[in-house]
Amino acid sequence: MNAFGNRNPVRVGALVAILAGLALAATPAFADRMEKHFSVQDKPKVTLRNSTGRIQVKSWSKNEVLVVWTNASGKAIVETEQAGNRVEVDTRMADDGVSSDQDKTDFEITVPVESELNVRTDSGNVTVESVHGDMTFDTVGANLQLTDVNGYVVVKTIDGSLVCNRCSGKLEANSISGNVQMIQPSLDSVRVQTSSGNILFDGSFMSRGIYIMKNFSGTIEVHFSANDSFDVSAHSLKGDVINQASFKPDTHGTPRPASKWGHGFIGTMNDGHAKVELSSFSGTIKILSRD
Amino acid sequence: MQCEQFEQVLEQQEFEELPKPALAHLETCEACSALFADFGAIHSMASAMAADPIAPPSEHVWISLRNQLEAEGLIRDPQVPVHSVPQTSPVWWSVFQRPAMAGAFLGLVLATAGTLSYLSNSQSTIAQSELTPVQEASSVLSANSVFKEEVLNVSDDSILGVQRQDTAVTDSIRRNLQIVDNFIAVCEKDVREQPDNQMAREYLYGAYQQKAELLATAMNRNMTGGLQ
Repeated sequence: MNAFGNRNPVRVGALVAILAGLALAATPAFADRMEKHFSVQDKPKVTLRNSTGRIQVKSWSKNEVLVVWTNASGKAIVETEQAGNRVEVDTRMADDGVSSDQDKTDFEITVPVESELNVRTDSGNVTVESVHGDMTFDTVGANLQLTDVNGYVVVKTIDGSLVCNRCSGKLEANSISGNVQMIQPSLDSVRVQTSSGNILFDGSFMSRGIYIMKNFSGTIEVHFSANDSFDVSAHSLKGDVINQASFKPDTHGTPRPASKWGHGFIGTMNDGHAKVELSSFSGTIKILSRD
Repeated sequence: MQCEQFEQVLEQQEFEELPKPALAHLETCEACSALFADFGAIHSMASAMAADPIAPPSEHVWISLRNQLEAEGLIRDPQVPVHSVPQTSPVWWSVFQRPAMAGAFLGLVLATAGTLSYLSNSQSTIAQSELTPVQEASSVLSANSVFKEEVLNVSDDSILGVQRQDTAVTDSIRRNLQIVDNFIAVCEKDVREQPDNQMAREYLYGAYQQKAELLATAMNRNMTGGLQ
């Protein structure tokens, strides 16, 4: 016997229709889902300013920017502007005194692979996948996840975290209490600073690359493999330096006297093609073998 | 004595001995006591820096900054009256009564931190005759304390724009301001105890810079009122 037993098919159909209607009525987000298409040439510059909400950016092969947004409260006004290859998206509130829940606007943005991005948001997660171009991110508490991006990436956040998966190009990140992780990067320039956050670099140091990682009280962890080639300077004023590598004295750098304060060392692995500077005030620096 | 009167006395007396009514007020008012302690700490720091061989920025740096701020309309000639400021307040105090002015000060702090950091690395190449008197550095630090008070106590209606309601974000800024303040305190202690520790000094500059940037972010997002 089926779930409806021997009921009248007409009555069953009517019941299903009513239930479906109720289900639709209980999903207000659909009513607030909006989208806009912008035709662009290659390498558009896309700017998004939002207060709170999830932001997802991904790429496609079309010469078009697609912006889709959802604001369940209907209190947000999204203004868009296009001037040639420049597309700007701004969120503002229709009324004063709107709560953060009503303020929340989620975005899904699809851009050409070669695009520049500028994102400013306060809270909510930001994910960017497979976009090649320069990017800036300015957040207060929003966590940022970048995957397969390539370009000059500048991140400024207060306590949001940054996870960079297979990023290439250059990275500048500045945070106060957020963590920064670089997983399998192909970055040739890294300047990361956080106050109380942790920093992880798990990847290869590229020839001629410069890697500067600095914090105040968190942990700085760097993974190396035996065939990596880099000069390293690691120094913690009040914390420890844990080193698993066999460095030889730096033979090609300017001789510098060892600091009489704190713990640290200067050394070279293989030919010293990359330059790595690790410094912390009271945090621990770990140089660990990946092998 | 009320808090407002105490602040005026503090401005006028600076670090000379406070009159008895002010001392009596200090004993009963936690906020003014904390303010006085902050002024004292900054004064100590300023004294330490003044006694330090690191050179303050040269005169032309200040002149350039002032010209730039004037050109952008961010500061005005001292003769221009500011209606909301008591006549007894010094001009620099009136400047920091307004968020826009305070924003301009952020740039000043950043420039100062950068300049001091730069000079600390190249002091041997700078002729002593080009240096400004010690009180220049002291005045900046005093302004810093004033700015801190301004940002933390500015009233909602003095800020342009809508007061933010996102308490999570405001809490985040408040929490991180506390973190940076703690770092500054730790670094200041280290610099006092180990004046020739260049690394501690660099971290102190960095912490000041982070604080300036954090406050800039707060102002940029109209959150200063939420930091009360």
